[in-house]
Amino acid sequence: MSGRVNFLMAVALGFCALMLVNSQYQARRLFIELERAQTQARQLEIEWAQLQLDQSTLGKHSRIEASARQNLNMVPVTPARTQYLTVAAK
Amino acid sequence: MKRIVGLPRSPRVAAAKGVPFSSTPELKVKLPVWRSRMVLFMLFLAFLALICRALWLQALSTDFLQKQGESRYARTLELPATRGKITDRNGQVLASSVPVRAIWAIPEDVLEAPKEKLRELAKLLDMSEQTLRGKLDSDRSFVYLKRQVDPQIADAVLKLGIDGIQTRKEYKRFYPEGEVMAHVVGFTNVEDVGQEGIELGWQKTLAGVQGSRRVIKDRLGHIVEDMRAIREPQDGKNLALSIDSKIQYIAFTKLKEAVEKNKAKAGGIVVLDARTGEVLALANMPSYNPNDRRLLTGSQLRNRVMTDTYEPGSIMKPFTVALALETGRVTPETYIQTAPGKMTIGTATIGDAHPHGVLSVAQVIEKSSNVGTVKMALQMQPQEMWGMFTSVGLGQQPKFGFPGAVAGRVRPYKSWRPIEQATMSYGHGISVSLIQMARSYMIFARNGDIIPLSFLKLAEQPVGQKVISEKTAVAVRRMMEMAAGPTGTAPKAQVPGYRVAGKTGTAYKLAGGKYVNKYVGSFVGLAPASDPRIIVAVMIDEPSGGLHYGGDVAAPVFSEVVASTLRAMNVSPDSSVTDIIIPADAAKESL
Repeated sequence: MSGRVNFLMAVALGFCALMLVNSQYQARRLFIELERAQTQARQLEIEWAQLQLDQSTLGKHSRIEASARQNLNMVPVTPARTQYLTVAAK
Repeated sequence: MKRIVGLPRSPRVAAAKGVPFSSTPELKVKLPVWRSRMVLFMLFLAFLALICRALWLQALSTDFLQKQGESRYARTLELPATRGKITDRNGQVLASSVPVRAIWAIPEDVLEAPKEKLRELAKLLDMSEQTLRGKLDSDRSFVYLKRQVDPQIADAVLKLGIDGIQTRKEYKRFYPEGEVMAHVVGFTNVEDVGQEGIELGWQKTLAGVQGSRRVIKDRLGHIVEDMRAIREPQDGKNLALSIDSKIQYIAFTKLKEAVEKNKAKAGGIVVLDARTGEVLALANMPSYNPNDRRLLTGSQLRNRVMTDTYEPGSIMKPFTVALALETGRVTPETYIQTAPGKMTIGTATIGDAHPHGVLSVAQVIEKSSNVGTVKMALQMQPQEMWGMFTSVGLGQQPKFGFPGAVAGRVRPYKSWRPIEQATMSYGHGISVSLIQMARSYMIFARNGDIIPLSFLKLAEQPVGQKVISEKTAVAVRRMMEMAAGPTGTAPKAQVPGYRVAGKTGTAYKLAGGKYVNKYVGSFVGLAPASDPRIIVAVMIDEPSGGLHYGGDVAAPVFSEVVASTLRAMNVSPDSSVTDIIIPADAAKESL
């Protein structure tokens, strides 16, 4: 009787040990995946900062003014040429 | 066992005597006792040595050994924190950090590399081979070859495969607006530490805290597991400034044009939001490009609006008049005899540029008469005037946290002599910075109260502190509107479509304790006069293009900046849009 119990326990122990190995493996694999995702997130953040900077550089007022004046032949608006509308009181 | 006493001399003799074989003489050899003791002792010593060693390893040097063991598989990774971005009030990026690399070398190892590779390396790093060799010719085991290198170039350098060349991650700060924002934003040094402007003043907020994590790495260098909780890096906070980059650009370009046109040494301009106390624009000339600071001079670096004090001149007159009105000594219609345009106080004589005759208080401001102002000032106690100047922030250390902002100088009233009180009433004998001057005009723009300035975008409006009554503020504003009109000293300050109020100032400069023939022309004003939204202060230092009056050099800048700024802020016009009149011979203000 006790021999059988021992045998069953041994089998259970072996099974648990294998499960432990497996879960440890899974944990490490998922961890590497998480790591990769975090790196990607960081990379994207850097890219975003870079793009924001580009937007600022390209949207510089001096650049806009230069191309408006030179390429599009625009002139600054003056109040004399502006039609002011007043919103009717509700 | 029977003891055999006495040993036979030889076996043969023993046999002859009939001794049995079982008792060989060898068995009877008696070893000296010390020998066995010796062995025992040696064994004991050996065990002791083992125990000592075990103790040494397990108890005394465990830390060291565990560390050594860990260092074979555990790694501490630095998690660099990014410096916060600086944006303007609309979210436009003014300063941002981009990751770059620093390339460093172990000179000994690198010098062993083949010559062609070193030549290629020098080419990639954009330096001559000699410079490179010069850097490598060092006893140290760590030499920076170049810092803040583009990641692409750094990768190319690593691809060369030279032993002893390594890279390190770092950040480079970019300033897309360049010289336009230079004096507000400032810049950081190569270590990412703020050196000037907002970057310096708000260093603690902007700089992050570096994080770290302890990990186990496998043979291939993959991270396998965290050994303890990650210390997350804390990125620096982003700052939203009160600056509006559009208004800043307008202010900077107009100032630049004026400084160039008047051949001035320098200039400064500041635009304030009268309702919130936010600084909408602050520019200086000459300026510099914060992205390339190789040829930077002290003159370019100087934030004149904040750090330079000057004698303001006539722009102080409205305060004297406001005080006289507030204390009931005069009304706007009180008449003052200013003829013959000269006045002697003690041994000194003060005078007007042109004698005016009888002027009302309002006209004193309109024509900027020194004599009229002094006659009002001399009715007052020094303490009252000192209290007025102090309560609008003159001579007081500014509290907005901008590095280098100066307090200016208003001497204690107890030591004022009458002539000093007289000159101070029209802005000589005290020194102020332009930003202080702009802020002090808040009492006229805000109907009598003054609020603190802010360089950061505010979520709520600050509470004002009452200095003068609303009635006085409105009256002085009305006078300043006349000064900025066709009959005043600054007709060029007029803006089509908007009513503006302001005051010119022209002051001699002090050099070595004496007044010299150099001027500071300034103009401080507010617009629209019916309900002021902005305060603009302009200063042109040493104009030498023929004109030097504040009304000629600074007022046109004011006019252009106000026109563009109010339009940019969507403020509706408060006067008819007609051609403005600028008389050929405008009233000259007094120095």
